[in-house]
Amino acid sequence: MASSLDVAKIAVDRVRCTGHGICAQTLPDSITLDEWGYPIVTDDQADPDEAKLAVKLCPARALYLR
Amino acid sequence: MTELAQLLEDAGLTGRGGAAFPTAIKIRAAIEKRARLIVNVCDGELGAAKDGWIVEHHLDELLDGVRLVAGISPHTRFAAHRGSATAARLAAAGLPVLETPDRYVSSEETSLISLAHGGQARPMTKRTPFVYGGRDPQGRRVKPTVVLNAETLWRISQINQHGAQWFRSFGTQAEPGPRLVAIGGYVARPGVYESAAGTPLAEVIALAGGMTQDVRHLGIGGLGGIVMTAAEARYAIWDTPGMKIYGGSIGPGIITIWNPAEDPVDTVNRMLNYGAAESAGQCGPCMFGLPALAEDWRRYVDLPSGTSARRLTDRVALLNGRGACAHPMGVARFATSALRVLEPELTGRAVGRRYLEGATRG
Repeated sequence: MASSLDVAKIAVDRVRCTGHGICAQTLPDSITLDEWGYPIVTDDQADPDEAKLAVKLCPARALYLR
Repeated sequence: MTELAQLLEDAGLTGRGGAAFPTAIKIRAAIEKRARLIVNVCDGELGAAKDGWIVEHHLDELLDGVRLVAGISPHTRFAAHRGSATAARLAAAGLPVLETPDRYVSSEETSLISLAHGGQARPMTKRTPFVYGGRDPQGRRVKPTVVLNAETLWRISQINQHGAQWFRSFGTQAEPGPRLVAIGGYVARPGVYESAAGTPLAEVIALAGGMTQDVRHLGIGGLGGIVMTAAEARYAIWDTPGMKIYGGSIGPGIITIWNPAEDPVDTVNRMLNYGAAESAGQCGPCMFGLPALAEDWRRYVDLPSGTSARRLTDRVALLNGRGACAHPMGVARFATSALRVLEPELTGRAVGRRYLEGATRG
């Protein structure tokens, strides 16, 4: 895990999320999927570069950083 | 106006809609952002009645509170369920009513903000608090808006009139002030009563006629609340630490005494089904998770075991914090307490059933 100085806090906009599941593939250490394919954030701290990429790849634009 | 925020901070007023957020913080942000005010008079939780009671009995003081917070603004709206007596009373008083569909999540804070901006009365994701403005799910701008519960505004008027010390002479250090509670169900005199945090729960219920000896269960806080046994209630204290022991809070001020003639298992069934049906259908974990929770509860009732109980508790864990609003979390909380309270009874029933089956075979 990256140091506290360079981590990104990830969050999911649950209204926008339609369960594509890309985030779980991009951030496997932070996100798993439930039985319907919706993300479960197991650890909201992620490497900023990887997190930014995951945000960019989310087809529903539901993943965001805060 | 900043004096008002200081006064409310000194008084220790918290929101009376259920979330108990410090009102002074909200008011300071609202003043800074010139936020529009929505007065929540929906009584949206199951068993809620106090907001309508304030409109019926203390409308002048409520309006005084509104004036103190928002001044006389053409943008202030009073949210009430469409077709309700409260909506009619507000309209008769010439007040701008934000007519809200009579659905469980419609009166949630962000649902009202969406509705006031021409959207549907469905919850929105709060990326930042809407008192600072934001975006709706379609990306349209939402103006800075603050939602305050009717009782909160009524208390603001009273604090302004009588002072912070007067307010603090009621309740506890952590939860000061008089507060309303709606007591319903199996009591002699259901209605809205004034009480304060720190009062024995039995004393609060006594305002409505008290619990008779045959009462076995009661609900605190509606669908987003908890179930407790009558035996627990006789010694419980009506404040947040006192209710936390049972997994609850004083929340929106609702006590419902369950009719002992009705099977509590059926009551829980009905409430979980209602909770599933009232999902706005926006967030996957709620839309699919609440019907699955109701189904897991039925399975557990049919065959109480470690496996079916674990299924239920695993399901509950997946509902926490996975919605735009607190609805899935509230139903999860309710299911957890129902499991805690009814587990001995359900296990007993299962044992009895197996015994009878054995007896008929034997």
